[in-house]
Amino acid sequence: MNPVTGLRRFVDRNGLAISAYLLVAVTLWMLAMIILPQLFMLDFSFRYNLPPAKIGGPEDVWTISNYAFLVFGSSGNPDAYNWIDLSVFFRTILAAVFVTVFDVALCYPIAFYLAQVAKGGFGRLMVLCLIIPFWVNEILRAFAFRILFGATGVINTVGMSLGLLDQPIDFVGADIALYAGLGYAYILLMIFPIYNAIESLDHNQIEAARDLGAPWWRIHYRVVIPHAKPGIASGCTMVFMLSAGALAAPQILGGPSSLWFTQIIYQWFNTGGNWPRGSAYAMILLIACIAFVMLMMRVFKVGLGEIGR
Amino acid sequence: MSANVELDGVWVQFGSFTAVHDVNVTIEGGEFFSFLGPSGCGKTTLLRTISGFQEPTQGVVRIGDQDMAGIGPNKRPTALIFQNLALFPLMSVWENIAFSLEVRGVDKAGRRKRADELLELIALTGQGDKKVSELSGGQKQRVAIARALAVEPEVLLLDEPLSALDLKLRQHMRTELRAIQQRVGITFIYITHDQGEALTMSDRVAVMNDGVLEQVADSATIYDQPETAFVASFVGENNLIPGKVHEVAEGFAVVDSTIGRLRARLPRSQRAALAAGEDAYVFVRPEAIHILNGAGGDGFDNTVRAHMSQEEFEGNMRHLILDGPGGNEIRASVINAGRGIGHGLGSDVTLGFRAEMTVALPKGPVAAERDSDAT
Amino acid sequence: MSSQNILRAFVGLYILAFFSYLFGPLILMSLTAFNSFSFPRVSPWECFTTEWFVKLSHDEKLMHGLLNSLIIGAGVMALAVPIGMAGAIMLTQVRRSIRPIYYTIVISPILVPGVVLGISTLIFWDRLGTMFNASYNSVFYDGLFLTIIGQATFISAYCMLVFIARLQRFDPAQEEAALDLGATHAQTFRKILLPFMRPAIFSAAVLAFLASFENYNTTVFTIISESTLTTVLASKVRYGIDPSISALAVIIVSLTLIGAIAYEFAKQREAKEARARQIEGLGLPASPPTRAKLAEAIGNPAMILSFFVAVAGLTFVYLMATVDTAACKQDLREQKRIEQQRRQDMQLFPLQMPSGKAPSKPAEPTAPQAPAGETGNKQYQGIFEPGNLKKQVGPEGEAAPAKPTPGKQYEGIFDPGNLKNQVGPEGGTNQN
Repeated sequence: MNPVTGLRRFVDRNGLAISAYLLVAVTLWMLAMIILPQLFMLDFSFRYNLPPAKIGGPEDVWTISNYAFLVFGSSGNPDAYNWIDLSVFFRTILAAVFVTVFDVALCYPIAFYLAQVAKGGFGRLMVLCLIIPFWVNEILRAFAFRILFGATGVINTVGMSLGLLDQPIDFVGADIALYAGLGYAYILLMIFPIYNAIESLDHNQIEAARDLGAPWWRIHYRVVIPHAKPGIASGCTMVFMLSAGALAAPQILGGPSSLWFTQIIYQWFNTGGNWPRGSAYAMILLIACIAFVMLMMRVFKVGLGEIGR
Repeated sequence: MSANVELDGVWVQFGSFTAVHDVNVTIEGGEFFSFLGPSGCGKTTLLRTISGFQEPTQGVVRIGDQDMAGIGPNKRPTALIFQNLALFPLMSVWENIAFSLEVRGVDKAGRRKRADELLELIALTGQGDKKVSELSGGQKQRVAIARALAVEPEVLLLDEPLSALDLKLRQHMRTELRAIQQRVGITFIYITHDQGEALTMSDRVAVMNDGVLEQVADSATIYDQPETAFVASFVGENNLIPGKVHEVAEGFAVVDSTIGRLRARLPRSQRAALAAGEDAYVFVRPEAIHILNGAGGDGFDNTVRAHMSQEEFEGNMRHLILDGPGGNEIRASVINAGRGIGHGLGSDVTLGFRAEMTVALPKGPVAAERDSDAT
Repeated sequence: MSSQNILRAFVGLYILAFFSYLFGPLILMSLTAFNSFSFPRVSPWECFTTEWFVKLSHDEKLMHGLLNSLIIGAGVMALAVPIGMAGAIMLTQVRRSIRPIYYTIVISPILVPGVVLGISTLIFWDRLGTMFNASYNSVFYDGLFLTIIGQATFISAYCMLVFIARLQRFDPAQEEAALDLGATHAQTFRKILLPFMRPAIFSAAVLAFLASFENYNTTVFTIISESTLTTVLASKVRYGIDPSISALAVIIVSLTLIGAIAYEFAKQREAKEARARQIEGLGLPASPPTRAKLAEAIGNPAMILSFFVAVAGLTFVYLMATVDTAACKQDLREQKRIEQQRRQDMQLFPLQMPSGKAPSKPAEPTAPQAPAGETGNKQYQGIFEPGNLKKQVGPEGEAAPAKPTPGKQYEGIFDPGNLKNQVGPEGGTNQN
């Protein structure tokens, strides 16, 4: 079917006004909000950081200097590579992976319990209790963790008063505050996909496995987890993407040694005044996230359609 | 007001698949006309083509002598009753019924009045304010019909409306629908796979198979004088006896069949198709087969020796399964008049049937094994 | 104990631990909102007070940010809901072979980091602006406009998912029936499809508003010179913490709780009504015995939550009524003055210290809120500790923005332990 007949069929089916609405809305969305801005950002990342007057002029050519900067640093850099930025990048990715793994381990039991064990009213209560903390702003959540983990925070105060601690533990400096905060932030996004996936599992399968004498860990390993794979993949994808791209939590909970890649990007736009370079860094972050998504899809053998709340 | 519907050389193709194959038929105004055929024979496609949801790939659809090409379903003088009824769940009963008036801008009072009239027609007076979900299956049926009638269409199209109902309700609704049609007087085009429905309700029946119209005639003709092997095997029970034509004379054919030489009627339309030496199917209905006393012919054109192997007692009829010559299975049905057949299981009997009740047809596709709910 | 029971106990413990992890920080944060201590802490607990809520309402920047957040939220709602619905409807009508590509494109904003969305939106409109030679006051550079666009990019995708779920239960025969009965396409859309989608429209609108209201990553780039509640909050948290932030948190948490409870009640009432209508249809007796009703009520999650809220609320009201904050503060000040007097006396007549605790505390001066964490000591119990004097007076310094601290050190000048600290704010990292 060629496009013209397709279009005519479409208008016939929906009427002129509705067709116009559908086409305009979707085109606007896809072009002006999704595709073009990304393309512009991509283009921008390959340009020099020129003042407005020089844009469009002879100096406005393409360059990979911004990307090169991430790897090699400035020309005055004594080292061969830009270790600062590179280490921040890799640490961010690793930390995001760590948070993801932590969240999976943390949330899987709860999701399983909710989906297969919890009955009626209690289950609904649990769901409500899960949702409520996440309607609270992420900044306030980070702030709460700050109160908890700070040098004069609750944990240290209680610990000292109970005699468990001699000195306040520097949770922030050890990045524990940040990881705990990040792990906390995305629990909901990890629980619900897994919950949905496990809920569709017929409880009889677990019963059958138990009947056949399988210990509980084997039941999970062979029966539940394979079924929950799409949910786990979905949750991991979201948590990784949100952790790697987190900005508020590192700003609030981060110690001096845990600079986040997004903070560097923010600096380029804010105080550094180098938008093209910031765009290049942002592209790299984007590529890292896409790579992770595709890795997830490959490892767990799930399609893109299953990643939807 | 009712209109006639004319299908002139209508083809409907989806890519390489032909759903409707050169259909030519004229349905008279005010007629109760049924399309009868197994699932997948194209009758639903045909209905959607008439109602405007499908444009024919070739051919013309005329309603009331007006060419309907390019006219959308909301502009045609037709109303369609869907198989799953498609009542609007968020609206009450009377709102459903009055919907067609609502979209034409009739004021609320006028709509309510008309809805009440129709509620009376379908014997659901006073139930107008109920929600659709609170009705029973049969009641929902009637609401769907009332909704379609509200705008006084010239043609009412019904897509297997009774298939979801249980047996007793179905039989009741058959009578109801027929009564409504005669009261309202508009053209009903009804599609179904249930031949009992088609035969009892319709003025004329069109039997369809694989997109082709096999035969169009009134119920009696369809049943007694099938013109193709498919019609003969699809409608009612029929014994199929393959054979070769020995000779043709005066509207009758003599066929050398697997159970012996038989004399059978040859429909006029097929007289050209069957000549001596051609393959043919001979059909005879179970109820046309008589169990003879004694070995004599008793005046029957066709006699066959057979061995009674099984009997099925259905209440009003006794169905006998016999082994004929050549290993063919023959079914005979005898009315249960209170006394037995006079022959026990395992005995050899002589069967007799008249040539007028036997028909010879060209070899062709026959109906597949029927499913249980086609009575 | 059988292994089953051990397992069950373990599971129960795990759930308990999990939910403490979940709610603990929030509860503690809420508590700090009522502590008159000028830094959010649970202990030392000074006086019960509601002054932070008052301070909150006077915070102009916050109020301005709140207003912007509301405007942006409304704008995003108005944009994302129609786009999301169009996206969902298109999905059902697009050719099967194109469907995966289409779906990938429109879902992609969800999988893209928020900062990337913000940056790309900013750059796109900035470049458009230069192309059209627009002035800085135009829409191309307007923080509110850009934020609405940037947020709507991915929030529309969320709305679309809501609509897709609802559309899957729609019977397309209804649309055909409406057409067949004479409706135009527009009428079919208005009278059949929209009413069916109404619950989804409502959910999507609420979702859009909430998602927009709490967004930070995208907003912080697109908001340019304006502010929203979240950006104001973020800068407050980074540069100057005081319990008014906790107060804001309490308000938000309470609103959330009330909203959740109300929603749960509404849902249950709907279910009950549907059941009642069914029962009526079947002709069974109307209401179950009271004991069953009571049991049902107790097990009802909304009731449980409301119970907690009610308890908290009553406690709050009680405390408000009985605790006189002013008097409490007065008392505290008296105590401090007495203590100060005592110390002065001790300077002149040194006595043996009763406790063996070393006076020197970790050498972090009362520096401003470093991201590295708060400073100061924690032993509230040792109120007679010399080191505490600094702490009790110092907190104003803790709340100050990135100012160097030397001036504040002089407040504890009589504290022997502070001698060390007066030599400049060593180790105190400045806010960047």
